[in-house]
Amino acid sequence: MSEASSLQTGSQMRLYGCPTCGRVSQLLHAVPDGTFLQCPRCATPLYHERPRSLQRTWAYLIAATVLYIPANLLPIMSTSNVFGETLHTILGGIEELRTGGDWLLAVIVFIASIAVPLLKIGALLVLVITAQRRSRWKQVERAQLYRMIEAVGHWSMLDVFVVVLLVGTIRFGPLGGVMPQPGLLAFGAVVVLTMLAAGSFDPRLIWPEEKDDTRHP
Amino acid sequence: MTDPVPSAHAHAPYAPAAARATGTAVALAARPDLVVCHECDAVHERITLARGTVARCRRCNALLGRGHVLGTEKLLAFAIASLLLIIVGNSAPIVTLDFQGVVSQATLPEAIEATWAAGQPLVAVLTAATALVFPLVFTILRLYLLGSLVRGIVPRGFVPAMHMLHFVTRWGMVEVFLLGTLVAVVRCASLTSATPGIGLFAYGAVTLLITAITAAGTHTLWKRSSEIGGTA
Ligand SMILES: [Zn+2]
Ligand SMILES: [Zn+2]
Repeated sequence: MSEASSLQTGSQMRLYGCPTCGRVSQLLHAVPDGTFLQCPRCATPLYHERPRSLQRTWAYLIAATVLYIPANLLPIMSTSNVFGETLHTILGGIEELRTGGDWLLAVIVFIASIAVPLLKIGALLVLVITAQRRSRWKQVERAQLYRMIEAVGHWSMLDVFVVVLLVGTIRFGPLGGVMPQPGLLAFGAVVVLTMLAAGSFDPRLIWPEEKDDTRHP
Repeated sequence: MTDPVPSAHAHAPYAPAAARATGTAVALAARPDLVVCHECDAVHERITLARGTVARCRRCNALLGRGHVLGTEKLLAFAIASLLLIIVGNSAPIVTLDFQGVVSQATLPEAIEATWAAGQPLVAVLTAATALVFPLVFTILRLYLLGSLVRGIVPRGFVPAMHMLHFVTRWGMVEVFLLGTLVAVVRCASLTSATPGIGLFAYGAVTLLITAITAAGTHTLWKRSSEIGGTA
């Protein structure tokens, strides 16, 4: 197996790689479609295509997109001092960093809070739509895109941690304080939902088989 | 990934419990000579990887495995250090503020508690889980598993512990939290005088240790348990 053209797949060879422990199991004889298989070493269910992967990805993705709106429109925190209370949105926070002269931090927070969630939602849309069409378009690049989403997804939690730390630290009573606001919950939910969406997507859908019935040749 | 596991049981058919229960005889033989890409299902021959090298899928370029980066003893030492530093990181303040003589400081548990008290319990739970509980469970599980395996014992509840380890590895966000502490310190510094606390430095060290342990993967743990238990 040195040529790319001679590559065989697990479903052609009745081989199952365990997603948890990596054990490779070979089915010695044909079994009826839909037979429930488990990894003998760690009991993880074995599939060539995770069931309902696309439906679940869609569900999380739609929920994330819907919540993305309040996450950006609602304030994520409020600051108070003797003069009164100010509400801050995510974009507002970035603007404060920028005008405060912290360019680098403004860029980092912008990437983590605005760019990463948007790119994730967009990239997941590309992945589920092409997978649904069993497309063979730019498969290596799409596989790369999937890995990128998995790698950067959790960095969006940055703003949630920042606000929690500010709430805990800035406690000067009437002189000054920070309170979390509902936008923060929506934002945290977007991060979790996009991570769940990426986790539900089965990357093997990027590489559809020639025929549908190659599962049990 | 490092080397093929020679085992007398390697090719013995194995009927999983669920299949037996439904009355279907399903034989799943181990193929330790092969690797199936978890991202595209391409089948590869398993090869021995030299220290520091990585194997990638020929079709989709996914990372299939890496040669040993860290030895068992080093991993165990890292896990012990990580546990101690998590304790320090959660009992020492992350940032100290001085506002016209009034000093205010908070540890991570205090910040989580304040968020809960301020009417955002879900955000508090989310932060507690991803920044504190999962990294802590990750470290304890690594200690528990590795501590037994180096003595030649498969620990009780090995498989459930491994499943839990996978979960907390995916959902632990200690490196994001570290960046969050830095942003928070800078934002505080724009209001008043802010000093980074011991907690921040401890979390910095925890991040390095957990990243190193995670990079070593879980393959060695599965392999050791198979060798000890005599199953493939
Ligand atoms: Zn398994
Ligand atoms: Zn692959």
